[in-house]
Amino acid sequence: MQNSKINQNQNNKVLVVGGGLGGIRTALDLAEAKKDVVLIDNDYTIGGLMTQLDRTFPTNNCDLCTIAPHLSESNREDHIELLTMTTVTNVTGEKGNFSVTLTSKPRYINLERCTACGDCLTHFPECVNFHPGLDHRAPTCMRYPQATPQAYSIDLEKCTDVQALVKICPARAINPDDMPIKRQIQCASIVLSPGASVFDPSHLDYLGYKNLPDVVTSLEYERILSASGPTGGKLICPSTGKQPKRVAWIQCIGSRGLQKEAGAYCSHACCMFALKEAIVTKERFQDDIETTIFYMDMRTFGKDYELYLNRAKNDYGVRFLRSRPHSILQPEGKTDLLLTYTKEDSTKQFEEEFDMVVLSTGFKTSEESRLLAQRVGIELNSDFFPITEEFNPVVTTKPGVYVAGTFEGPKDIPETMVQASAAACMAAADLPDIIDEPKELQEAPVERDVSLEEPKVGVFICDCGENIGGIVNVENLVAHAATLPYVAVAKAEGHGCSRTSMEDICQTIVEEGLNRVVIGGCSPRTHQEKFQDLLQKAGINRYLVDIANIRDQVTWVHSGKPKEAEAKAKELIAMSIASVVRAQPLTDHTLPMNKNVLVVGGGVTGMTASLKLAERGYQVYLAEKNDKLGGIANHLVKTLEGGDVQAYLSSMVEKVKSHKKIQVMTRALIVDHSGMPGMFTTGMQSGPQMFYKQIEHGITILATGAQSNRPDQYLLGKTPAVKTQLETQRYLFEHPDKVKQWENVVMIQCVGSRTPENPNCSRICCQNAIKNSLAILDLNPEARVFILYRDMRTYGFQEEYYQKARERGVIFVRYDLEKPPVVEEAGSQVDVTYYDTILGMDITVTADTLCLSTGMIADHDTNEELSRVFKLPRTEDGYFLEDHVKLRPVDMPVPGFFVAGTAHSPKLIRESVTQANAVAARAQTMLARDQISLGAATAKVDGKLCAACLICVRACPFNVPYINADGYSEIDPAKCHGCGMCVAECPAKAIQLMQFEDDRILAKVEQLFERITA
Amino acid sequence: MENFEPVIVAFCCHYCAYTAADMAGTQRLPYPANVKIIRIPCSGKIDTLHIVKAFEKGADGVYVAGCLEGDCHFKNGNVKAAKRVAYVQKYLEEIGLESERLEMVNISAGMGHRFAELASTMTEKIRKLGPSPVKAAAAL
Repeated sequence: MQNSKINQNQNNKVLVVGGGLGGIRTALDLAEAKKDVVLIDNDYTIGGLMTQLDRTFPTNNCDLCTIAPHLSESNREDHIELLTMTTVTNVTGEKGNFSVTLTSKPRYINLERCTACGDCLTHFPECVNFHPGLDHRAPTCMRYPQATPQAYSIDLEKCTDVQALVKICPARAINPDDMPIKRQIQCASIVLSPGASVFDPSHLDYLGYKNLPDVVTSLEYERILSASGPTGGKLICPSTGKQPKRVAWIQCIGSRGLQKEAGAYCSHACCMFALKEAIVTKERFQDDIETTIFYMDMRTFGKDYELYLNRAKNDYGVRFLRSRPHSILQPEGKTDLLLTYTKEDSTKQFEEEFDMVVLSTGFKTSEESRLLAQRVGIELNSDFFPITEEFNPVVTTKPGVYVAGTFEGPKDIPETMVQASAAACMAAADLPDIIDEPKELQEAPVERDVSLEEPKVGVFICDCGENIGGIVNVENLVAHAATLPYVAVAKAEGHGCSRTSMEDICQTIVEEGLNRVVIGGCSPRTHQEKFQDLLQKAGINRYLVDIANIRDQVTWVHSGKPKEAEAKAKELIAMSIASVVRAQPLTDHTLPMNKNVLVVGGGVTGMTASLKLAERGYQVYLAEKNDKLGGIANHLVKTLEGGDVQAYLSSMVEKVKSHKKIQVMTRALIVDHSGMPGMFTTGMQSGPQMFYKQIEHGITILATGAQSNRPDQYLLGKTPAVKTQLETQRYLFEHPDKVKQWENVVMIQCVGSRTPENPNCSRICCQNAIKNSLAILDLNPEARVFILYRDMRTYGFQEEYYQKARERGVIFVRYDLEKPPVVEEAGSQVDVTYYDTILGMDITVTADTLCLSTGMIADHDTNEELSRVFKLPRTEDGYFLEDHVKLRPVDMPVPGFFVAGTAHSPKLIRESVTQANAVAARAQTMLARDQISLGAATAKVDGKLCAACLICVRACPFNVPYINADGYSEIDPAKCHGCGMCVAECPAKAIQLMQFEDDRILAKVEQLFERITA
Repeated sequence: MENFEPVIVAFCCHYCAYTAADMAGTQRLPYPANVKIIRIPCSGKIDTLHIVKAFEKGADGVYVAGCLEGDCHFKNGNVKAAKRVAYVQKYLEEIGLESERLEMVNISAGMGHRFAELASTMTEKIRKLGPSPVKAAAAL
C-alpha cells in the first residue's frame, strides 16, 4: 500500500487499446469521470468497423453522426491522449503498476499543423492515406470534419517525388523524415478493445466468392448500398453494372462451425445485419428487387429485434427460406448465379437463380489481436477469444486487464457500448483516488461585460486553402463585410481553425475590444464549439459568435458557378453579422451535484451497481421492494457455463449488507419524486411499518428486473408434470433421484414469447433449455429429451453447448406458431403431440415432465408505477426505454437516470452484471462533476407578456412548462431540451429560445432580402 | 422572366436537413445557389411568422426541412412543423400567393443526395411559378 502512494503520479492512467466504437466509449467514460486515458489505435484514424457501416439496425440511422461530435478535440483534450498508428509491443508489471511499450508508425504529417485541407490529396492522391467521403472504405458520415484526428497521413513508399509533395502543403505539415516512435507509458490498468475481423470466405470454392464478382460479403454489400460507397450509392452488380433484380443472403458463413476454418460460435450480429440490408434494399427499390434470406435459425434475440424481423417479413416482403444452399454456381455463358438447396419439408433439390448473393460472414479474431493478447499476457479460449470471469465478461485472466467489444466475443453495437462502459468501470477501480482538480481551476478568464456596449463585430473569413479561396475571392468577401453596419474589423484568416489563426483571432478580439464575432468558414455543426471556446479564452461570452457556413454550403456545392457562390457567401456573412449583433451574453445553467445515488431494485444488477459506486466512495441507497435481496437470482442454481449462482449471490448479498456506504431498504415503495438531474428528492415508504422518508440524491439507477412469465398454456399449474424451465432447474437440483426415473422429457420453447400478444423474444430460454437438457442427461443418460423449438437462439458461445446437446442425443424438432404442439393430461404424465415436418405426420410423446420455456416479461405493475413517478418512457412491452438503443443503451432520456439488467430487457446474469458495471461507469461521469452544466439553449418566458393560455404547456414534448404561483408560464431551464416548439406556438410571443431568439432569425431573413427590397 | 433567379429560404433542422446540406457539400453535389439555408434547432421551432416574414420581404419560395417521420430529436417537432406549414399554405392561397411556394420536406442527416435534389427541384418549381407577386407589388 505504501508503494502505491509513491507511484501515484505515474500510475493514474488507463491504457485503452483500440479506437473503435468500444474503445472510444471506454475512453470517454473515463475522461468524463476525470481519469486520464491513453487511447491507441493501429489505424491512422479512429472509428473502427462501424465507420464502414452505411446504416445501423434497428433504427436504420447513421449513428456515426451522433457519436462523432463527442470526439472533437475540445471534448477529449483534457484527459485523453490519442495515439494513432500505434501498437503495444511489450507489457511488464502488474495491476496498478503496468509499464507498456508503445510503437507508433510514422505518419509523415505533423498533426499540429495539418488542417485537413486536402491539397496533398488533390495533387498526390497515390501517396495520401485518407480519402474521406470519396474512398469506398470511408463511410457516409466519416467525412473529414468528423474524422479524428483531423489529418491525413502519407504513404511515403508510394511517393515518387517527395520534395514536390512537401512543397504542396500550404501548412508545411509534411515531414518526410518522420520516424517510428517508441515510448514507454505507466498505467494502472489496461482495456483491450481492438475489435475483431470478419471471416474471409475466399477458400470456400463452392460459394464462389473469389471467382464470381456478384458474390459479395455483407460488409461489401453495405458499401455498395452506401451513398458514399464505390458506386456512389447505386446498387449494381459488380459484374454487369446493372441493378440486380434478385438478391439472396446466405447466413452463418464462418460461424456455427459449418465451414472449413469457421468458428464454432454464433456470430451474434449477422441475422440483424442481413435483415437491415434486406430492409434497406426493399425501402429503396420496393418490388424492383426481390430479397431472399437463406438461414438456419433467425436469431433476433435483442431488445425489440423480433419486431424488426416481423417488419422485414410483413411490411417489406423479405422472403425467408430455412435452408443452407449447397453451392453457388454460374452456368457457362450466363450472368445469373445458380443456388442449389433443399427445404426442410422436402427431400427434393431446388435450383434458383439470383443476380447477387450476399454472404453473411461472421466475426473472427485477427492474427494481430491474438498477438496482442499474447503480449499483454491474457489467456484465450479455443476460438481465440479471451477467457473471462464467470459472472463478469470484461474481466480477463490477468488482473488489471479488461476486455470489451467484439474482441471479447461476437456482438452488436449496443452490447459493445455496454461492455465498453463496464470495462471503464472496472479499469477506473484500479486507479488511485485523486480528487483534486487543478485543471479546472485555472480555466475561465474573467468575462468582460459587453451588455451595455454598442456591437463591435469582428469578421474573420477563412480560405480553407483552395476549398473556399479557390472558388471565391476571399478579399472581396472581406471588403464587403467591412462595409456592413457594426463591423469594426474584417480580415482573411487562411485556415481559421489552425492554431496560428486561432491565436490571431484571439489577439484581435482583445486588442480591438471586439464584442461580437462572425466566422466565415465551415459548418457550425463541427466548429462552433471550437470558436466558442476561443471567445471564452479572449474574455468575452462564448455565445457572441455566429458562423457563416460558406464552405460546406457554398463553395463546395457551387464550385461550378463562382460568381453566384461569391454573392451567396457575401449574403450568408451579412446574415450572420445581422444576427450576431442581436446576440446576448448567455450563461450555461449549472446546478450543484448531489453525489448520492439511489438504486431501485436489489437483484444482482442493483447490488453490483451499488457495490461499484460505494467502493468509489459514493453514498448509495438501495431500495428493494421485497423483503429479501437477490431478485430472480434467488431461484437460479447454475449458469449454462456451470457457474454457481447461489455462491455468487450469497457473497454479494453479504458484501452489500456490510458495506458502510450502502444503506439497504427492503419492502421499499417509491411514492414521490421531484427535483432535477443532480439534485433529486425521492420519497419512499419502507420496512414492515412502511415508514415514509425522503432521500436526496443526484443519480437514479433503475434495476427493477423483470418477472418470470407464467402464461396459462399447456396445462401449466394444472398438473405437476408441467413445469417452467426455472422450476425444472430447481427440481433437477433438489430431486435428482426422481429425474433418474424419467424416460421422456419434452421442452416447448417460446411459450408466451414471440406471439402476437408478446411479440418479443425472451432471449434467455434457448440456453436455459440446453442447460436443463444437458443437466438431465448428466443425471440420467438414458432419458430421451425432446426440444420443440421455433428458432434455436443460442447466440455467441452458447452455440457450442447447443452442438453438445445435439451430440448427446437431444432431439430437436421444429414447430410453427400456426401449428403449436398439443398437450393432454395422461395420468401423472402428459401426452405431447407435435407435427414432424420431416415425417409429415403428428407424433405423440408421453412425457414424464414437460418443461415450458416461458421466458420473461416486464414487471408491469412496478415499471408502470415507477415510470409515472419518475416520468420515464417505457417500450410497448413495458421495459424501460433507454435514450438511444444503439449508442446510449443504459442512459435514460432524462439526464441522471440510468437503467440496467432485466428492467431494460431480458438478459442473462453475465449480461446484467455487465450492464450494472456499465451503469456505474456512466453514473461516475456525472458524479465526478461538482456542477452540472445544462447548456444555454433553453426557452425563457417573459412573464409580462404571458397570458397563461397553456399552449406552451401542451406544445412541449417533455411536459416542462407549468403555470407558476404568479400566474404565468415558467420553464425550468434544467428540464428544457431546447427545441423551441413552445416558442413557435406561443401566441403572445412571450417565449424566446436562447441562441435562436426570434429577432436573430428574423434579422437573417431581413438581411437576406435587404438588397432586393432596397 | 428569362433571367429570373428566385430567392428561396430553407429553414433547416440542425439535426437532419442542415447536416444533410453539409453532407451534400462533402460529397460535392451541386445544387442551385438560389437556396439560402437558415439553421434552426428543430423544424418544430419554425414560426408561422418567420415564414410569412420571408414572403413579405420578397422570398419567391420557402421550405422547411425536418427529420424523417419518427426520427425527430424532440419527439414530434417535424409533425408540428408540417401542420404549421399546411396552415400557412392555406393562408397564402387566401392572400393570392400560390401555396406551392411553400413546402415541408422530410430528410435524414445522411441524405446529402436528397438534399441537393430537393434544392434543385424546388428551385425549378419556383422558377416556373415566376417571381413572387409580393415583390412585384413592392416594386410598384
